[in-house]
Amino acid sequence: MTLDWSVVWQHRDALAAATGTTFLLTVATMVIAVPCGIIVAVLRLYGYAPVRALATGYVELFRNLPLILVVYWAFYVLPILTGTGLSPLATGLAALALNVTAYNAETFRAGINSIRRGQLEAAMALGMSRAQALRRVVLPQALRRITPVLASTWVSLFKDTSLVSVIAVTELAYVAMQVRAQTFRVLEMLTAMAAIYWLLGYPQAKLVDWIQRRYAVTE
Amino acid sequence: MTLDPQRTKAAGAAIVRYRDVVKRFGALQVLNGVTLSVHAGEVVCLIGPSGSGKSTLLRCTNGLEMLDGGAIEFEGTLLPRDERGLRAMRARMGMVFQSFELFPHLTAEGNVAEGPRSVLGMSTAAARARAAALLAKVGLADKLASYPSALSGGQQQRVAIARALAMEPDVMLFDEPTSALDPETIGEVLSVMKTLADEGMTMVVVTHEMSFARRVADWVAVFDAGRIIEQGPPRQIFDAPEVERTRDFLSHLGWSG
Repeated sequence: MTLDWSVVWQHRDALAAATGTTFLLTVATMVIAVPCGIIVAVLRLYGYAPVRALATGYVELFRNLPLILVVYWAFYVLPILTGTGLSPLATGLAALALNVTAYNAETFRAGINSIRRGQLEAAMALGMSRAQALRRVVLPQALRRITPVLASTWVSLFKDTSLVSVIAVTELAYVAMQVRAQTFRVLEMLTAMAAIYWLLGYPQAKLVDWIQRRYAVTE
Repeated sequence: MTLDPQRTKAAGAAIVRYRDVVKRFGALQVLNGVTLSVHAGEVVCLIGPSGSGKSTLLRCTNGLEMLDGGAIEFEGTLLPRDERGLRAMRARMGMVFQSFELFPHLTAEGNVAEGPRSVLGMSTAAARARAAALLAKVGLADKLASYPSALSGGQQQRVAIARALAMEPDVMLFDEPTSALDPETIGEVLSVMKTLADEGMTMVVVTHEMSFARRVADWVAVFDAGRIIEQGPPRQIFDAPEVERTRDFLSHLGWSG
């Protein structure tokens, strides 16, 4: 079997654009899923009973469904619910955001719970409202504490974006598979895809480790 | 309560008045009808064995714990039960915790400036100026930019005192402020508290530091099993306690008068 690596180079523009889409999906998902995760976590911790139940139901549903199923679900169900056809990219983003928001909500909930009660009391003793105490005292500490978890979520997400290839979002996995199908260069394209994911993912993981050390809070 | 001739400051207005305060945690009766008043400019020390209810009374004072019976008046008004009313009242009471509870993500200056900024709505510059002045007052002018993790226990507790003072409270509540400290740093915290007392700050202090209570308090209340078993000027409590249980408690601490 002869290998022809030139196929990778020939499709460099398409692969580069697809890599861009993968990054875009990762960033956009986190931009949605971090604030939404905080909101869901706070609702689950401090909301009125029905709101709490709703937030808990959402988290437990989406945390325990396979992501690929959510992607398919979004593809077939979202157009019916919204009455308009969303682009594959928007659909994929919605599916990823639904899934990661549920995970982040659990992460934030654990982070908030890990801050001693005395911190909340010290803030309230100054006259802060519960919301102020959360925003100014509890959340900043919780965020720092869960940075490592968010980081590993980020790196998982970067790879999991490949799942939206099943609904033809032109991200890295989809484009690499397309090239493979057109050229029959299976081993070359899979290797190239692995190399791109790894080379991009590894520095992100390292960067996040560094951020974590930089902003660590010692007590 | 009858005016005690030895309680000179009791002529002033009552800042805090506890009437038959009852508090339960589940089946456990923690406070069993506590009546006590704290007058303007007084230092009232609450002493007694662990678990006798002193800290709980202090935590009821600013509504960190809710009462199950009786009443607490602050400056002539019943302690509100709603969030908004409680917040306004808490902003006029400073509280210092046994475990400091400084905000670890903020510098010493940030800790002290936080209340004025987010509760009083003060500008950042004004809040920082107030923080710098207060940290200087507690002897930490050179620690403005230090994070709590870089400070000793005594320094942290002094920052915590400055943080409470930044709200310009009418009364300061101290919950065993030196119990978590190394012996060598207890003195610096007590001396800051003594200075405050000398300046006329009204203070309620839960403490196991008997010599501090003896020296600084205007009034001492001895707790046992959720009740005040004896209260009076420090001279009476420490030199001539009238109640057997007070004598027992003090002799267990090795207090020799």
